[in-house]
Amino acid sequence: MPGITGHDGGDPDMDAGLLAQYIMNGLMLGMMYALVAVGFTLFFGVLDVIKFSHGDVLTVGAFAALATYVGLHALGLNSSWLDLLLMLVLSTLAMALLGMGIARYLVMPLRSAPALNTLLITLMLGTVLRESVRLFYPQGANPKPFPALLPRASIDLGAFNLRLDNVLMLAAGVLVILGIQYLLNRTKPGLAIRAVAQDEETARTMGINFTAIVLITFAIGSGLAAFAGVMNGLYYNEINFGIGLYLGVIGFSAAIIGGLGSIYGAILGGFLFAGLQTIGTVLLPFASAYKDVFAFAVVIAIMAWRPTGLIQQKISERV
Amino acid sequence: MRKTCRRTTIAIALLAFAAATVAAEAKDKVKVGFIGPLTGGVSVNGLGGRNSADLAVRLLNADPKSKYEYELVVLDDECKPNVAVQVATKMAADKDIIAGATHYCSSTAIATVDTYHKFGFPVIVWGAVLPDITYRNKYEEVHRVNGTMINQNDANAELISKLGFKTVAVIHDTTDYGKGHNEYFSKALAKIGKSNIVGIFGVTAEQQDFTGELTKIKALNPEVIYFGGLTPIGVRIRSQMDKLGVNAVFDGTSGIVSDAYIQGLGPLAEGTLAFREGAPTEKLPGGKFFMEKYSAQKYDNPPEAYGAFAYAAMDMILDTIEKVGPDRKKVIAALADVKDRDSIVGKITFDDHGQNTVPVITKYVVQDGKFVEWDDSEYAAGKRKLPGQK
Amino acid sequence: MAQKTRISVWPGVISLAIGTAYLIALLDVERQNLIIALLVFGIAAVIAAAWLGLLDSVSASFADHEDTLGGCAIIAALAVAAFFHENHFVLLLVITVLLYSVATLGLNVQFGYAGVLNFAGASFFGIGAYTSAVLNSYTAVPHLVVLVIGGLLAALAGSLLLLPVLRTRGHYAAVVTIAFALLFKTFLEVNDVLGGPQGMQVKGMRILGWSFNDNITICSVSLSFYMNYFVVSLFLLVGAFILVRRLERSWIGLNLDALRLDETAAGCFGLDIVRWKITAFLIGNFLIGIAGALFGMVGGFVAPNNYTFADSLILVSILLLGGIGNPWGLIVATIIVVVVPEKLQTIQEYRFLLYALMVIAVLLFRPEGLLPRPVRRYFPGWRP
Repeated sequence: MPGITGHDGGDPDMDAGLLAQYIMNGLMLGMMYALVAVGFTLFFGVLDVIKFSHGDVLTVGAFAALATYVGLHALGLNSSWLDLLLMLVLSTLAMALLGMGIARYLVMPLRSAPALNTLLITLMLGTVLRESVRLFYPQGANPKPFPALLPRASIDLGAFNLRLDNVLMLAAGVLVILGIQYLLNRTKPGLAIRAVAQDEETARTMGINFTAIVLITFAIGSGLAAFAGVMNGLYYNEINFGIGLYLGVIGFSAAIIGGLGSIYGAILGGFLFAGLQTIGTVLLPFASAYKDVFAFAVVIAIMAWRPTGLIQQKISERV
Repeated sequence: MRKTCRRTTIAIALLAFAAATVAAEAKDKVKVGFIGPLTGGVSVNGLGGRNSADLAVRLLNADPKSKYEYELVVLDDECKPNVAVQVATKMAADKDIIAGATHYCSSTAIATVDTYHKFGFPVIVWGAVLPDITYRNKYEEVHRVNGTMINQNDANAELISKLGFKTVAVIHDTTDYGKGHNEYFSKALAKIGKSNIVGIFGVTAEQQDFTGELTKIKALNPEVIYFGGLTPIGVRIRSQMDKLGVNAVFDGTSGIVSDAYIQGLGPLAEGTLAFREGAPTEKLPGGKFFMEKYSAQKYDNPPEAYGAFAYAAMDMILDTIEKVGPDRKKVIAALADVKDRDSIVGKITFDDHGQNTVPVITKYVVQDGKFVEWDDSEYAAGKRKLPGQK
Repeated sequence: MAQKTRISVWPGVISLAIGTAYLIALLDVERQNLIIALLVFGIAAVIAAAWLGLLDSVSASFADHEDTLGGCAIIAALAVAAFFHENHFVLLLVITVLLYSVATLGLNVQFGYAGVLNFAGASFFGIGAYTSAVLNSYTAVPHLVVLVIGGLLAALAGSLLLLPVLRTRGHYAAVVTIAFALLFKTFLEVNDVLGGPQGMQVKGMRILGWSFNDNITICSVSLSFYMNYFVVSLFLLVGAFILVRRLERSWIGLNLDALRLDETAAGCFGLDIVRWKITAFLIGNFLIGIAGALFGMVGGFVAPNNYTFADSLILVSILLLGGIGNPWGLIVATIIVVVVPEKLQTIQEYRFLLYALMVIAVLLFRPEGLLPRPVRRYFPGWRP
């Protein structure tokens, strides 16, 4: 590859504006990874199950939103805010239903089988979802433009371009995460979820409807995935059938780094992974070519050093 | 034991039936092949090419004077080198397929030349522009009707220099296609000497996120961003340029001359430059004829930029088979001798490497949602300014 | 005194013969309707045989006379190759089946015997392939040695992952291998030294001056050049099969089984868990690497896109479908997974979807796979 003339990675004269731009990029990515990671951690916490299809549920959610948009446009509704709202609501509900279906028919029947089978079945389910989108959505194999529904105003602060839609998305992401925290820590269903996560048998004896809680948790997790999918679509203005696989693995790695079962860990892991990618982009040559190699290598190293993740679990994990 | 006996008899009967049907079909049929990207980001080009090749086969089959009945075998290379090698092996290993019109993506075409040579399978490339495809080896099996990227990059560099742009940043994909564009554009620009390349960035063909490269480019502040790659990532780069506030002229190659580029970007596509060898389809010598016949078939997809070349390639193959018969070796010998052959894209002559020369380079700019010829556009006339033009 | 009832070898031989004839028919037929008819017929026949209890006698006969039937299987393979001696593409399919079987046997040692999850099977396959690409192009190392080096490099690369894999279990180990699979593909793509996304051409095999890429003519019979590769692949499969079987029956296999079934108990009995896991992982990767090196030479081309995470998942699906721990099941599953989509053009596009659905069905309804692993037999035909 011909050498890069002029500026290389590790630019010594990077100004504050440029730094801010990198930080903003990192924050946006981190938010998306964190949302996916929180989903993984929720599933693991409640059912001790790794739902590998989470990333692909994200893809389906994004496509569901796109389909909603196309439908709304066909009906002649053109208001951006209304479109966005309906897309979010419909895709979240649709994914919640899908998540419940997955729980009911694929995960719960396998509870008595070795954990490996559940992992494998969700992995295969992920493939089914991904291929279904590719094959059955009209021209699904091609990348599809996603409408830009957020306001496009932006302010230029030196080399840093602060965009309103990025800020809005960040804010929305933060609100959603805070909402999940609130739901889990201060409401009765949340209490039930935490109880089941901690000790299924005792929770049952306490009168908690195990199946209902599992279904609710899967619904919440999948709804989160839909939200992340829509956010992804809005950020890149494009979706394709492969985004879920990539985001899913990253989200999973992030959840593991942070410590499976801990919501804070998942969020930390998400932003950490994004940070690793950004550092890789800045420091290594060839811009973003090696960022994934770098980030995954660090993940493997962390797994070797601290398999349970960075945040210590109160319950010792059987690893 | 009786059940096994019965089942064996049924099996034998089925096999016999199968053999009989297979044997009964060996009539006057000749198979020809077509390979292109039928799925994936550049599928519109592949489908357009396939339809054009199919048109050529249909027209000849409808002609009562034709000696054989032709069947078109279509395979999808997904614009991926490894898939291309697999389908090329499949097509070339099938002794019934005499010749093929192959490949739109350069990355696939360059990967398969050795396969075609190994099996002695004559091919005519219809859409890939990398020079190495015909010039790296002297394989008698490989020919090409469309031009190479050298001329389009010469024209590209010329226009950039003429418009007075001094600084260019290059983004190219890391397949041989993108690397080729980078190489020839850099050479051409250096030869004219009026502009400088301030940074070169390689990206993978499936990359999603370009914020890293674009942030670095923003710091370099070039006037033009030259993009050597295909439509899917072209769309992403252009759209992320806008998100990051990178203000520069977006200058692409034949890889983005496609309706999918405009559909993917909407208003953001405005003011993009692009170059292609060959005149626009309507202005080709056989353009009207081709467009007429193509519309009459009512295909689902338009022929796109290279449909006419796919038609010409398949037409030449069919013509040659009519003359020398369905024999690969004879077809190779006949194709070695092509001089001033008439076709809808003009007169075709294969040089000693099997390469046709296409002299015309069309310069495009996107104006009001369409690819318009540069010289006819309002940008050339000075009525509009390209985004980023100071 | 226990009564010795001799189990006949004939059910095994007959089923092998019928299977071979069926395979030849399937590979030969071109028309789609006939292929579908054949497939339906085949499935119906198998279901009917299972219902009639014929399958039990076949598996008993296989278990008892494995060596003889193994020999018969080799003859069957040669018969298939002889029938298609001029047909390039079918021979290529057969070679693909053979080499994928070897790779899956490697995975079997890791997962089926030792319980070590490996979702990066295709990456180690790729390491073998790239080794043969590089060594063939730049050095004069004899090609058979190249195969061995390919295996060794794959094992070596596997050892890099050992520490994280050993310290974790279950889904954590899964993450490590998945991360590696993604890392490997991206690394190959961004790296121009190894050809980048465009890949590298691999020179064909040459042994003692005999070039494998030229067609052969013996007497007046012309053979496709793929026959050369077929013979080597068959050797490789037979060797791998015997190795894996002997391994399973030896005390090494016993240790691995104990390790997989209950690590704590195995530890209590004094088994060195770390040592056996490493052994299994490395042996498995060695097999996968050799298969990859040979496959690279057969195809003549390596590219990062051939060795993605999705391809690793295919290898794992084969393992699950065939029956974890059963080498015969693996071969059957490989044949199904490789041959059927190639012949049934209409489903070519849907093949990933279909594999995944099949595996889900298997996991829900028959987790042991098509041919579940039978109870341990120390020697074929052994009786107390």
